[in-house]
This record gives sequence, structure tokens and C-alpha cells, in this order.
Amino acid sequence: MTTLTPSRRQALRLAAGSALAAGAAVSTSAAPASAKTSYRPGRYAATPILDVQARHLVNRFSYGITPELAAEVRAAGGHLAWFDQQLATAYDGAADNLCDWWPDLHLDAQDLWARHSSGTRIGYRVMQDYARRVLMRRVTSRRQVLEVMTEFWENHFHVPAQVDNVFVHRTNYGEGIRAKALGRFDELLPAAVLHPAMVFYLGASISTKYHPNENLGRELLELHTLGVGNYSESDVKDSARILTGFTMDHFATWKPRYESSWHSTGPVRVLEFSDSNADADGRSVIQRYLAYLAHHPATAKRLAGKLVSAFVSDDPATELVDRLARIYLENDTAIVPVLRALVRSPEFAEAVDAKVRDPERDVVATYRLLGARVAAPTSDQSAANNIFYQVASLGLAPFMWPRPDGRPSSNQAWCSPTRVLASLSLHWSMASAVWPSVDVAFRPYSAWLPIGSTAQFGDLVDHLSRLLLHRPASQTLLRSCIEITGIPARTGLRRRSPLAASDWTRLLGAVLDSPDFYQY
Amino acid sequence: MNTTDQTCCGPRPTRRGLLRGALASGVAVAGSTIVTLGAAPAGAATTPASSVLVVLSLRGAADGLSLIVPHGDATYYAARRSIAVSADRLIAKDGFFGMHPAMAPLLPLWQAGRLAAVHATGLPMPNRSHFSAMEQVEDADPGSAARVGWLNRLIGAQPGTSALEGLALGSSIPTSLLGPEPVMSFPDVDAVRIGGVDGNPRRVQSLTTQWQRATTPMAAGFRAAMSSVTDLSPAEAEPDNAARYPHCELGNALASVARTLRADVGVSAVTVDSGNWDMHTGLGQADRGWMCRNAAELSGCIAAFFNDLGPVTDRVTLVTISEFGRRVQENATQGLDHGWGNVMLVAGAGVRGGKYYGRWPGLQNTLDADLTVTTDYRSVLAEIVASRTTASTSTVFPGFKRERVGVMVGQ
Repeated sequence: MTTLTPSRRQALRLAAGSALAAGAAVSTSAAPASAKTSYRPGRYAATPILDVQARHLVNRFSYGITPELAAEVRAAGGHLAWFDQQLATAYDGAADNLCDWWPDLHLDAQDLWARHSSGTRIGYRVMQDYARRVLMRRVTSRRQVLEVMTEFWENHFHVPAQVDNVFVHRTNYGEGIRAKALGRFDELLPAAVLHPAMVFYLGASISTKYHPNENLGRELLELHTLGVGNYSESDVKDSARILTGFTMDHFATWKPRYESSWHSTGPVRVLEFSDSNADADGRSVIQRYLAYLAHHPATAKRLAGKLVSAFVSDDPATELVDRLARIYLENDTAIVPVLRALVRSPEFAEAVDAKVRDPERDVVATYRLLGARVAAPTSDQSAANNIFYQVASLGLAPFMWPRPDGRPSSNQAWCSPTRVLASLSLHWSMASAVWPSVDVAFRPYSAWLPIGSTAQFGDLVDHLSRLLLHRPASQTLLRSCIEITGIPARTGLRRRSPLAASDWTRLLGAVLDSPDFYQY
Repeated sequence: MNTTDQTCCGPRPTRRGLLRGALASGVAVAGSTIVTLGAAPAGAATTPASSVLVVLSLRGAADGLSLIVPHGDATYYAARRSIAVSADRLIAKDGFFGMHPAMAPLLPLWQAGRLAAVHATGLPMPNRSHFSAMEQVEDADPGSAARVGWLNRLIGAQPGTSALEGLALGSSIPTSLLGPEPVMSFPDVDAVRIGGVDGNPRRVQSLTTQWQRATTPMAAGFRAAMSSVTDLSPAEAEPDNAARYPHCELGNALASVARTLRADVGVSAVTVDSGNWDMHTGLGQADRGWMCRNAAELSGCIAAFFNDLGPVTDRVTLVTISEFGRRVQENATQGLDHGWGNVMLVAGAGVRGGKYYGRWPGLQNTLDADLTVTTDYRSVLAEIVASRTTASTSTVFPGFKRERVGVMVGQ
């Protein structure tokens, strides 16, 4: 990329300055345009869109509303029916074998370790493959709600992919979370916390009764269940003691096992949970302990709060959180009833477009909405491999958040100037269909044209807005598209497009960079 | 429209920002909907900063007792049988403290009197949650529910109107820089460009149209990015000396910071991260292992940074901070659990270096024992602020009465 030369810098300043001055001259009201400059968007109603509430729910619980997805929603009988259907069919197998393009993801821990140690394939590369598969699932799966909830729980129980030797277990860990993402939390909790990936990551696999390592014991209480402020340091110590005994065959087969001689026996007490813990095999104590935590009101409140922050807005309403916490407990920690109540709440209905697309959602939505079709990768440059770096370029590669608390779901975390400039570059390169270019088929520009010789440029902008932003074009969007292409609104389009490829790039780029694209 | 929300990234433009835009382009200011967008006339956008504060956060709770070792306290050795650093290996020793040998690259700064360490610093009460402690440390305003960081208050209290005054290295803005003042961020200087501008002279205009009145959470970041692209181009023209730093993320980040500071474009507060310091297991020995590697990298990068500042060397002060320290006693995995008190390194302009500061509380050898905090971390930061800037410390640290540390000249 070229550096800005001083004269270009000058030009940009002047352009921006005159733009602002010009902006001041245009009325921001919605008054009908005069004959001089017309910014009244066309209305290409032939491109059907869902109504605002439907768009809102489907945007929250999918990775972008393609025409196919919108048709599914209509066929189901509306957004709530679609949502219930997604919950009911999540595990019907329709999404099981998607994008199974990276053979290393099927290797067991011992093989992965052998290949890593010999230098045949280092562990972090396998972890990049894992992230790629997850991203491609989100791009292609018809079980969008399952993928969204898997993302949520995998982040709640975050195990970074790049830490140490966690790669030997990490893929299996993620698949396990996906298998329980729409079940009961009291089943998900032990599956996650006692999985060798988590046990290894938080140092529990070498924690012994002699001086237990507090890491997993603490994060179990702080991050996975009760939340900060709801337990004492003494609780952390006993939590760590309860967890001693889980280990694995480090640096060889990596097979998990339980080592009774490491287990710290003797009475334990965490809040209201107490146990004599007399048996050297502490596995039944830990199951009871985790069940206690899963059903604790503080856990209910914390999980409800996280769900509301992730799926409603960054300012979670106390009443909604309390209500969802009650539903969680009344349904024995089942997740589905909580979600059904969340999407039917008035707070949810009011939170249209309140969330910012983070790097992962941004990239996945760009692929989906541009209709890019990604094929099995044949090289490092293939789109299915490159998608990992595209997400990384926006600020954080998947599963690379360095701490166990998982990456933030708040808007503010993803609005930095760094992210802005990176997204501008990403959207531009995808709009130009220049990069990535291997093993991916972008929709041909001619396929974007609405059919009908009477269509004008303003209609095209509206059509693109409906496809990419799932709403009619605004005045601002039309004006922006006219500015970048220099094509007036009333220019007639023909079947054989008069638009050059460079115009298409500018148009698609402009729509992808509108404020509405970043919100969902 | 977000009119009251200052916690998400769509704050209302500050009065300073509005004035800059209005003066620059002659646009009338009306309510909160007109904002600046890189419209300043050429050459008038940025004012050189008279002093710069670089805050280097050691993420994950760095063990201060391993970095600056209290060899004079016998309990340190009793409590850490496998990971203590023996006194004969320490460098920059005085009668009580010494530096981890891996910090050798910092010896020149130490001997030149430009590096100091303040021990037993931290939050007033223990907070063993990483993310909660970081919030508390960086917000530094315990009486308020607003999520505004001390560095944002610092740049707000200083003259100047550019979004470049506050700069975060990396992909997100840390809490310390959050707030009503617009700030910039980048992973490195060369990333600061608008994609798709080449061959598309109307791209900037088109983006301006869409974003100049936007009130979505992304809007503030967009405007800061757009105005900064032009303001930062002198930094791109500065040579990139990353090759002189240890080959790591921190090295690349500090090399970008040095380039930017040399360009003198008005940056006065910078945040940089170094991680991962969360050594629950396998801390290592004096000459190998995790702590040794981290300490060597950290030291090499700070030393290279101060050698890379050229004409602005005598304006830049760097301070290290971590969310908390670690337990006195090692655990069964040759690591350390979450603790409390820690050390802060202070380097560069205005530092009374070559000395160890703080009040040593003495160590205990029990499961629960922490390094007790005897100096609130804000006393150190406030002293730097008072010595190097014209900002009022009571504005930057509301409700806080600082104690003298003596690490900064004139304090």
C-alpha cells in the first residue's frame, strides 16, 4: 500500500473540508428534493425484506440475512416461529458435516502432539484450522441459532487456542460445547470445566493437594458461574481443593485421568455447599459441587445478565435479567426457555440495531451478504484459509482473546479507530472481489442488477440496501453512492450493465461501510 | 440518537472538538449533530505536546517480587524455594533490593539516573479478579459509576484539540483512555490509511457523507480515524526502527510509538500492553523460563524505545503498571496465585532514577500472604502528572489525596 504523500494529504484535507462545507448547505430534513439535487432514494419493492422486528431478531441470532434466510423466515411463518423452529431442529444433523475441509481436526491428542513435536504440523496451525472451520460454519450453516449460541458459550467458557499445548484438546472442547449449547447449563458446566482443555489451560492438571493452584477454582466462581463479589477468598481455596485430582498424561498421550492421590480430602465449604469430601476420589463431590453452582441464584443472574448484554443491549435492564434468571431456575437451568422469553420481551423489541458487529460477525456477514461462495481450500491463499487472517486484521482472531473471561460483547470494545480503518480495508477488498481470490466465487456484478429495464441508479441503490442492509436506502446512503460513483440518481440501467467493475466496487464498498452495516 | 450515553463509544463531541471543526471549516455548530471530520486546514491540525506519558500495562498481574527482588527480606527466600532469585544474581543492587538479571538491558538507563522503581504499590484494597481490578485501576475514580479512564481525564485537562492526543496501541481502547475526549488507536503506524482511497478521489467524500452526522456507537471511532489519517502522515514519514527492538509484539508497538512521538504530532498520552504475565504455573528460574523471558523482552523493549526517541527523548516518561501483584508464597506448580502489592517502573523525563522507592511492609510466609500495598498506585501516577503536565491531579484522580513518593523531579 502506498504512503500518503504530502500533496495527497493536502488533497484529502481539502476534500474533507469542502465536503463538510458542502454538507452544511444540504438540508438534513426529509423534505422532497428540489430539481437541482435529488436525494430521494428509489423504492425497489421487488426486493422483499422482513419487517423491522423480524430483521432485528434474525440479525441477532444469525450471521446476516441472506435472501435464502429471509425466505426461510417467511416460510416458517414469521421470526418467532422461525426462532422456535431453529431451537427445535438445532441437532437434526443438517449442520453436522459442514465445511469439513481440515483433516487435522479429526486427529486425536496423541497424533496432534506427535506431529507438533516432530515439526510436521505445529499446534498453532491446527488451531487456525479450527477457527476457520468455525467461521465457515457460521457462513454456511442453516442452523444459524445453534452457531450463534455455540459462539456465546464457547466465549463464556473461553479457552484461548494459542496457549501452550492446549491445541491437543481444543477442537474436541469446542465440539463438546456445540453439542450442549442449547441444552441445560448444569450439563454444559461440567462438560466445559472438567474438559481436559480447560483443566490444562487453567493449571488444574498439575494442581495437587500440597498447595492447590487457585486458577480454575477461582475462574469457575468468578467467570463461569457466580460472578465477582459473590464468593470469598476462602471459597476460592476450597473450590481449588475440590478440583484437585484431574490430570492427564502430559507430553505423551495427553489422555485425561483422575489421580486420587492428588485429591485434597477433608471437609470443603463453598457458600452453602458443604461436603465431608472424605473419599480420595473426589469426582462425585465435584459433580455435586458443579450442580450446586449451576443452580445457584447468583449464577442464574449472571448468566441472564450475559445473555441480555450479548443479545439485547449493553445496558441490561434489571427487570429483564431478574425475570430470565427466574425462568432459568424454574426450568432446571435449561437454556431454551430463557432464550424464548428473551426474544419476546419488550426490552428486546426496543433494542433494534443496538449492537455493533465485532470482527467475527463483520467478516462472516460480509461473506454471507455478498453471496460469496467459498470452496474447499487448496492453498494458503484460499478464502477458507484466508478468512482467519481477515478476522485477525479487524482486531482479534477467533479464540485468541488472551484471558479466560472471553472477549467482550460490549459495543465499545469494537469501535476503536483501529477497527474502523481495518474494516474499511476489508470491506473494500471484498467489494472489489480482488482478495481473497482463490477458491471463492463472488457474485458476478451483473447478478446484482434488479431485473427490469426501467430501473434507475436510485433504484439500484435501494435494491443493494435491501440486500446488504436489509432495509430501504436512506437519503444519506443514496447521496453517498452518487458521490462516489458520480452517477446521478435518475440514470437508467440496462440489462447489460453500463456500470464498470470499478463502479460496482465503489457502490458495494459504500453500502458495506454505511453506519447501518456495522449495527445489528 | 445517543444524547446522554457516554459509556459506549458514541459520546457527544466535546466542546473542544466542536470548536476545532467549526473554526476549521466555518460550519455553524448546532447542538450535538455537527462534528469534525478531518476538516482542519493544512498544518493547523496538531500542536506538539510538551510532555508525553507512556503507560505500559503488564497484562495478567506481573509478579513484582520477581522483577525487583527484596533480597534483604529473608522471607522471600523461605516462601519461594524453587523460584526465588538468589541475591548474587541480582543486578542494580542496593542493600535491600535488586533487579532480576534478565533486566540487564535496563542497566544503562538505571545507571544514567533515568529509571526508578516504586515497590509495594497497588489498589487500596486487594482485588484478585483480573478484569475487575483492571477496571478499578484504569478508571481510577471509585466514587463514580461512569466508565471514564484517568488518561482520558488527563488529556481533557490539557490544552489541545486533536484526537491524536490520546493514543492506544492495539485494537481496542483500554479503560484508562475511555471517555468523552476522542482518542486514536492503531496496531502500527503503517496501518493508518483509508482502504480504497487510491484511484478513488471521491471515497473520502462519500464516507464523510455517511458518517458526519452518524450517532451510532461506531461514529466517534470513525471520526477519530478519519481525522487522524491525515494528522498521522508525518509519523509514517519517520524511519521505522523496529529492527533495533527485541523481535516481539511489544517491540513492534514501541517502535510505532517512537515513530509517532518523533513526528511530534501532538500525542501526549499513549497506552501499550505487554502480556501475558499470569504466571500461575512454571514461573521459571533466574536464567530460564517464563519470567526470565518476559523480563528480558520487557527490558530490551523499554531500553530500545528510549534509544529511539531522538529529539523528543527528554519529553517522554514511561511508567509500568499491572492490575495486581502475586502471592508471596509459591504454589505447588512453581507458580504464584493472585496477590496484591506490586512494583511500578518509572523511566525517562523527570525521573529521579537509579533508586528504589516505597515503604517496605515486610513479607509473611503463609498461604494467604500478599505483598501489602503501602503506596496507592495513584500516588505514583499523580506525581508523574504533577511533575510533567499542567493538569490538576485532583481532576485526573477525583477524590484522591496523594502521598509524596519522591520519584519525580520537583515532587
